[in-house]
Amino acid sequence: MSGLLRGELSKTLSTRTLFAFVIGGVAFAVLNVVIVAVASGTLHTVSEKQEALSCLPILMLAWGVVGAAGEYRHRTAAPAALVARRGRGTLLLARLAAYAVTGLGLAAVTTGVSLAIGLPLLADQPGPGLGAAEVGSVVAGNLVACVLSVIIGAGLGALIRNQIVGVVVLLVLNFAVNPLLANVSEGLSNLTPFGASSVLSRMTHNTTLSVAVAGAVLAAWTVVVAGAALAGERRRDLA
Amino acid sequence: MVELWVMTNTHTHVMGRAIVADGLTKRYGRTTAVEGLSFSARSGAVTGFFGPNGAGKTTALKMIVGIARPNAGRALVNGVPIESTKPDARQIGVYIEPCGAHPGRTGRAHLRALATIAGLGRGRADEVLATVGLGDAGRRRVGKYSMGMRQRLGLAAALLGDPQILVLDEPGNGLDPSGVRWLRTLLREQAASGRTVLLSSHVLSEAAQTVDDVVVIDRGRLVYQGSMHDLDARGESLEDVFFGATGGVYS
Repeated sequence: MSGLLRGELSKTLSTRTLFAFVIGGVAFAVLNVVIVAVASGTLHTVSEKQEALSCLPILMLAWGVVGAAGEYRHRTAAPAALVARRGRGTLLLARLAAYAVTGLGLAAVTTGVSLAIGLPLLADQPGPGLGAAEVGSVVAGNLVACVLSVIIGAGLGALIRNQIVGVVVLLVLNFAVNPLLANVSEGLSNLTPFGASSVLSRMTHNTTLSVAVAGAVLAAWTVVVAGAALAGERRRDLA
Repeated sequence: MVELWVMTNTHTHVMGRAIVADGLTKRYGRTTAVEGLSFSARSGAVTGFFGPNGAGKTTALKMIVGIARPNAGRALVNGVPIESTKPDARQIGVYIEPCGAHPGRTGRAHLRALATIAGLGRGRADEVLATVGLGDAGRRRVGKYSMGMRQRLGLAAALLGDPQILVLDEPGNGLDPSGVRWLRTLLREQAASGRTVLLSSHVLSEAAQTVDDVVVIDRGRLVYQGSMHDLDARGESLEDVFFGATGGVYS
């Protein structure tokens, strides 16, 4: 399994795609900090200040979809499956784990940038400051949200197997379906992967869903999507 | 041709046959790509797998190596159903177009990743790059490769585990004359060392210099299986047999 993981990891690190997402993630982190901490006026509460440090789970979902679906677009999934010494399910599991590792790295970089720029700016804001516990909880939430989001994205990519369709589906769900659900019921919207990851990363606050429950909801979605992707991979042709 | 079919508790196979296609059928919706295809490829020989465009060659090869599942029938490799075996680069090396390398990745990185997944040393990537004549191009991105270079990269991936069996789908496409000669020599050496080679090709004149056995399919069905020796004895060419078996009509 470690050989599969290392091989899949080296695949993700040997193209420019991941680095494009790193640049996008860092750009978003800077933009988010500036907009929330500087341009949106006075931040009175801890949760408002934590929002300035949140990551962008949709970016992680997109990275997972683009990377994993690219395996089928470029037909790189078949050569790996033909040499893996394990079943296709195990190979996909290793691929999802490799994407989780990249998600952790991506989250660490973007969260680090948010902290480096955001904490000095937030220190100038009135009201209660962010203590180590509050900052630590944002960091943990970002890391968990990003890692689980990347796994969900990679699972969707393996199911859909088409990068453009995958990203379009993602955007429609995030920017059309989820807001519609929120209009019907905020609670329902928070139970989607998009809602749960927003709560977990503190992008959404003043919600009835606790961070812990949001984490559990996102973990459940991760298991469901990864399970469906594994089942599909075992049953479907590779090329 | 005399073949000895052996029934065991778990497997049916042909003695001395490394690859056996046993009634393989593949349908895509209402289209039947391969229907009831049975043939075998022996060890120590190059078996040519021929057919017109759309005859089902690539689909059949995909079923034989296990990346496509047959609707009926089965493929046996060394007597074991392919779906029961774990893929191993040391057992079967496969090249089916396209080469399966990300255009943004270097050829070397592509092979190193495959070598790691296969449990081989990363140094093996450089060895096979040199074998296929891509030693100097290994650090270039695959998107910058010519068609012939991509063919060579695909062949390098197939050779990664120094396999006992090679399954190659039109490996000569895009190769320059020296590449064609190199490929012919490589395949003959593989067969001479007791290994099994199953290759599809449209270039009959070149294939006639390479193959020992001939399998021709048309519209997904077997229409001829025999040896080059038999053809020579009858004074027929591979081209004669191909057109005779397929009616000379390309679909």
